[in-house]
Amino acid sequence: MRLIQIGIAGWSRAGKSGVRGHVASPALPRPRLLRSLPVLMLAVAMALALMVLAAPALTVSRVLGAAQPAEKIRIAQQFGLVYAPLSIARELKIFEKHGLQVEWRQLGSGAAVNEALIAGQVDVGFMGIPPFLIGWDKGVPWKVAVGFAEVPIVLVTYREDIKSLADFTSKDKIALPSPGSVQHLLLGMAAKRELGNAQALDSLLVAMAHPDGMAALLARRDITAHFTTPPYGFELLSRPGFHAVLTDQQAFGGRFSFNVGVVTQQFHDSRPRAYRQLVAAITEAMNWLETHKKEAAPILAPEFNLSTDKTYAYLTWPGVRYTVEVRGLMKFARFMHENGFIRRLPASLDDLAWENVAALVPPGEE
Amino acid sequence: MLPATNKKRETEKVWPRRRNLFSSRLARQVGWLLMVGAAWEAVARAGIYPPILFPRLSDVFVALLAEVRGGEILARTGWSLGTISLGVALAVTISIAAAALALGLRPLRSLVDALLNVLHPLPGIAVLPIFLLWFGTGAPAVLAVVVFSCIWPMVQNLLAGLESVPRTQIDAGRNLGLGRARLALFVLIPASLPYALAGLRLAWARGWQTAVAGEMVFGAGGGDGGLGWFIYKRRFFLEIPAVFAGMLMIILIGILVEHVIFGTLEHLTVRRWGMSRTE
Repeated sequence: MRLIQIGIAGWSRAGKSGVRGHVASPALPRPRLLRSLPVLMLAVAMALALMVLAAPALTVSRVLGAAQPAEKIRIAQQFGLVYAPLSIARELKIFEKHGLQVEWRQLGSGAAVNEALIAGQVDVGFMGIPPFLIGWDKGVPWKVAVGFAEVPIVLVTYREDIKSLADFTSKDKIALPSPGSVQHLLLGMAAKRELGNAQALDSLLVAMAHPDGMAALLARRDITAHFTTPPYGFELLSRPGFHAVLTDQQAFGGRFSFNVGVVTQQFHDSRPRAYRQLVAAITEAMNWLETHKKEAAPILAPEFNLSTDKTYAYLTWPGVRYTVEVRGLMKFARFMHENGFIRRLPASLDDLAWENVAALVPPGEE
Repeated sequence: MLPATNKKRETEKVWPRRRNLFSSRLARQVGWLLMVGAAWEAVARAGIYPPILFPRLSDVFVALLAEVRGGEILARTGWSLGTISLGVALAVTISIAAAALALGLRPLRSLVDALLNVLHPLPGIAVLPIFLLWFGTGAPAVLAVVVFSCIWPMVQNLLAGLESVPRTQIDAGRNLGLGRARLALFVLIPASLPYALAGLRLAWARGWQTAVAGEMVFGAGGGDGGLGWFIYKRRFFLEIPAVFAGMLMIILIGILVEHVIFGTLEHLTVRRWGMSRTE
């Protein structure tokens, strides 16, 4: 008996308490410390498990990223008219030309792209200015690297009696992609001007992805209006009986970048060469698309699942501009700060954008 | 040792031992939770992860307090509770009718069985896209999925309960001269109550899950949404502590309903009648 006891005690501390109880008399009370030992170990194990579960997103990718030569870059794959420059760059191998090797990531929604960027799973993310500012306000260490296209956004309805925002009643519902989206903020800007309160229409909002919102509006039942981007806005307006209540230009009072390319501090500071290459590649793809829409249409048509002619019509639709200029950053920030969407007000553009962006902002369109 | 003294020792110990077990079980659970909470706080404070992904537990409580003071979380909770209660109540009414019909009329029994087999495995969230088209976004669709997901566990438990009443009890009731109505009221229903309560518990849990998930996945709540819509909105504004606060609220309601409502119901009925041995 004693031999067994010593043997076991010698090779496992954790096993000691349990096994000893069996071997010795059952009546022998176990010391308190030993009894709570397994509990403590479990607690430590759980803490470790928590770390491990959340870790791969952050540390592993960062370590890998730092170890690789500066050419490798991770971009979330997004589709649609707005993201056409990415498809063009991929097809024409523009990233490779600038010495970058792209690893494309599949991610669900725009929110997932933002979260992946925060978690360090992608190196650049394309998002609307409001979601970018919300992250900046919450202390996410990221800034704008490049502008990413301007597109017309329209609030479409089938109801003839709705001509302005004041015509919406509490029975109506307005579909838009998500709270805090460009569409939400544009609606807030227009509501502030026309109804005196930026949140006046918030209780009518329903969050719906663009295709769902369009289907709901076409059903003419439950959703009164849909605030949407091309090609859904084009599609809806080309049908009889649908009209625009509000356009982005009316709401914002000028032009603004629909999306911006956002890069984290980590990427910007630790890989300056890759950062410059990235900005150069996006600029080239954007400029090529803007000046070669005829050539771009057949490249993009299969991806959009549209005819070449229709793709060309969308690419050349009034208000669609492929430009890396950055417009409206500070104006959005001021509006969001004044109306309680963000808590901090950026002192200047430098708080929001990396050093190369100053040259991309046209005078008077901060 | 003599059997007699052994027996005496056991009877002496029955009460104090049981009490200790209960109180120490509760204490142990609370202790565990405190430990997990402390581990969470420690990991968050270690600063390994950006606070926006992994907020401190203390920040979550601060956010919860702020939301309670702001009033929105309470309004959303009220909306959720109202919708789910209404849904569960409707589901219970329908289930009782369905169970009564199924037991009363043989052919209907196989119909209810068939529906149960086909529809019970279907999660409420899976039918939400269809319900959104049929009933529109907002309260009607959420209510419909809650009813849908609550009916099946409720019907199943009611039928199982009613069929598990021992033959002897029914015969004893008949021998005492009870008619059909009084037999149901005084024998069948009380005898099957533990099953009915279990069904109600399941229905409530499924109702919560479905309502919250529906509002989050489809933004189905619209202007008059519940806690799911609250969490959904806060997520887009990256108010992660408030997202956790919303979850905390769901947990608190769950504990409250479980211990206050179901606990009391059980106390007043099955435990009082000596049908349940649960602590």
